[in-house]
Amino acid sequence: MARENIYVGLEIGTSKICAVVAEARSDGTLKVVGVGTVPARGVRKGEIVDFETAKRCVHDAIVDAEEKSDVEISEVYLGITGSHIRSFNNRGVVVLEEDREEIDEQDLDDVRTNAREVSLPIEDCILHTIIQHYYVDGQDGVLNPIGLFGKKLEADFHIVYGIRTRIQNAIRCVKELELEPADVTINSFATAQAVLEKNQKQLGAIVIDIGGGTTDFVVYVDGAVKQSGVLAVGGDHITNYISIGLKIPTARAEKLKVEEGNVTLGTAFPGETILLKDETGFAGREIERESLNQIIHARLQESLTIVKRQIEADQNLHYVGAGVFITGGCSQIRGLEHLASDIFGMPVTMAHALPMAGVTSAFENPQYSTALGLVKYAHLVQMDRPVAGGLIKNAFQRIRGIFRN
Amino acid sequence: MVQLNRQYGGENNTDEPVLVKVVGVGGAGSNILDRVMLDGIEAADMVAINTDVQSLAASVAAHKVQIGRNLTRGLGSGGDPELGYAAAEEATDEIRSVIQGGTVIFVCSGLGGGTGSGAAPYVVQIAKEENALVLGVVALPFSFEGRRRCAQAEESLTRLRSVCDAVVCFENDRMAEITLPRMGIHEAFAAADLTISQSIRSVTGILQRPGLLHIGFDDVCTVLRNGDARALFGYGEAEGENRAHDALAKALKNPLMNRGALLEETFHAIVHICGGANVTLGEVQIIMEELNRHINDQTQLFMGVGIEPRMGNRLSVSILSSLGNGADRPPAQTVQRTARVVQPETNPKVSDIKPDPWQPTVPLNPAPSKPVAQELPHRVAPVERTPERAPDELMLPPAETESPKSASVRPPVAKSEPKPLTPAPAKPQTAAPGKKTEAKQETLQFEPVSRGRFEKSEPTIIDGQDLDVPTFLRKNVKVR
Repeated sequence: MARENIYVGLEIGTSKICAVVAEARSDGTLKVVGVGTVPARGVRKGEIVDFETAKRCVHDAIVDAEEKSDVEISEVYLGITGSHIRSFNNRGVVVLEEDREEIDEQDLDDVRTNAREVSLPIEDCILHTIIQHYYVDGQDGVLNPIGLFGKKLEADFHIVYGIRTRIQNAIRCVKELELEPADVTINSFATAQAVLEKNQKQLGAIVIDIGGGTTDFVVYVDGAVKQSGVLAVGGDHITNYISIGLKIPTARAEKLKVEEGNVTLGTAFPGETILLKDETGFAGREIERESLNQIIHARLQESLTIVKRQIEADQNLHYVGAGVFITGGCSQIRGLEHLASDIFGMPVTMAHALPMAGVTSAFENPQYSTALGLVKYAHLVQMDRPVAGGLIKNAFQRIRGIFRN
Repeated sequence: MVQLNRQYGGENNTDEPVLVKVVGVGGAGSNILDRVMLDGIEAADMVAINTDVQSLAASVAAHKVQIGRNLTRGLGSGGDPELGYAAAEEATDEIRSVIQGGTVIFVCSGLGGGTGSGAAPYVVQIAKEENALVLGVVALPFSFEGRRRCAQAEESLTRLRSVCDAVVCFENDRMAEITLPRMGIHEAFAAADLTISQSIRSVTGILQRPGLLHIGFDDVCTVLRNGDARALFGYGEAEGENRAHDALAKALKNPLMNRGALLEETFHAIVHICGGANVTLGEVQIIMEELNRHINDQTQLFMGVGIEPRMGNRLSVSILSSLGNGADRPPAQTVQRTARVVQPETNPKVSDIKPDPWQPTVPLNPAPSKPVAQELPHRVAPVERTPERAPDELMLPPAETESPKSASVRPPVAKSEPKPLTPAPAKPQTAAPGKKTEAKQETLQFEPVSRGRFEKSEPTIIDGQDLDVPTFLRKNVKVR
């Protein structure tokens, strides 16, 4: 069944690989028609470490999504993450020639090119050049400078870059399955599209996506991406710590984390224990609830503090008006909201994707925020709205750029 | 503007000259010397000290001192450190005369043999008496050279660590990492010598090159004096588009650096970036940002940038640091260490007690040497009366009463000494040695720290913390 305007978002996550199929309707909204998801293997800290295994999992997820949505998938929007992703802000400047006063599209391209001219390590490539603000002759607050009169055009950009080969791995994985990567984007940026409303972006907001292998964050100030980052620590680490600290098998630790984990200290009665039933290969035993909580608390507190420190270092914390939005699978741990608001000192929302039409169960689960964000991102790119204008340019060229050499 | 320029030039000129002397002791020492000469070094005096006349004759050094004229009669010391020590002692005045005047003295030697292991600590001692900053640059033997040789080397190293300001120690076994097993033996040794020579040259370079951001003698002292005399060193040079990153990567790859992992534990570090006129701010930034990932928050970084037209398009990064710091130590030692840093002029007092040949003037355990000198004024008299008891007394922390028993137990011969020395006094002592044992246990705990399922994946290191190691372990939260 052929349908027009189908977007597929593919997230190769550490704990699960997830493909979301959405349909753009004529009124400009999106409808989720199917979600395919399989537990991931061969992925560590958001990056593929076992190519063949990961490829099989991606294949399974795509097939699952195709079956559920009754759509043949040929093109995906791919989310990228990993500790190698870095970012910074840079300003580009273009001065118009003597005989010209009106700013045109070419100038916007030029100013972008100008901002991208920075010295990066040679193995790195730029993933995104996201527009923040334009200035015409020093006047700020210009939303769209095309057609304005001026002599000097300046623009601030948020530039995201990463190691080319490591980005290529994910792209190659998709390509080998006969799928076309329509565009790649960083996960945190996609997540923000799913979680934040436009006015929240304007007010300023922090989105933290605590997933299985990574913690991705993005800071919006004045409606523009001001900062983004990836911390290669996630829920997997908590499981690992529990397994080391309480000396239980990893699978059991994962279950314990999901079922009993709580990040708040002092909620357990003194001496309160959790009974782990015996299973094959595991003699049952009792563990102290407070110990479990302490392990989880130590991990998440450290993660959030690192994120806060990074945001503080760039002096963006005070411009955040709408608060912190935490999402991702790991955000389901009990008590995280209080811990986060203690650390950040501002309101914290446990967020999931904003409602869309279609499969409702998907966006009520914070695990799917990024995958849903990817289709929203795709939608933005396709609509080619001026707001998103910065993102769309050269989507194809960029992929080709990543693959050059 | 003109005034500014003048000031800039003037500042450099008024710097008192740092006279560097490179002293090679023994056969391996003079090999290192030759290598340093070959690579070219600015304004440094080269001194070769050896028992073997033939080897001495072959050396390219400007100053040569033959030691043990009467003892060995121009032959080697036959792998006997005692003989090496005695030979050096015989030529004390000659050694002193060539060493005099040096501000920074490198003492290079290969440990394990006779002359190197025996004479090097004595030479260092003389250098210390001349009030110089002494850096030991030593190579340890391959483990296949036999246990005896390794034991001699270890013993000599302990001795050197207690007298030198810092010891840069190159383990030949680890040198194998930088060469291929199939490489010719000659090339392999040359590669080892090259690494050693690089370290000497870059420290000299740091001290002598006028820099845009200058690193002074005082900075080098701070970095090297504060450690427990184990120096870290890395040097990398690269050219091309990505030279900043490559040079740093090479510097961190140095076998001494353990891929930057050891940098985490240091408290001071010097980074010196040197290149031609075309070094950009961006490159310096790249290097410093990448380096910052390897060090912890408390580390004090001294950054130096030098412009050397001869470098052309190349860019070099030298990292210099030493392990350990005062704060981590048991309290008794901390006090001593501060004293040592504040009052380096107490050094000469070491010479007040005439050292018994090959008998340690300073404790053989890696406790710092100079605090001993501090204790001495109160004890000078008894020490002189019963010189054979001196080492014992020095072993003990100030408050401790001496145990004459162990003095009588100790055999006068050197080689068998360290074995009874370390464990024997430890037993009767109570408070302070207990602390020492504790400290040892703490360091041991570091090794089995588990990263669990992330054992083989790329580590996530932020602000010097390995996030794959459970937080509760790093923060010492008790979990049952």
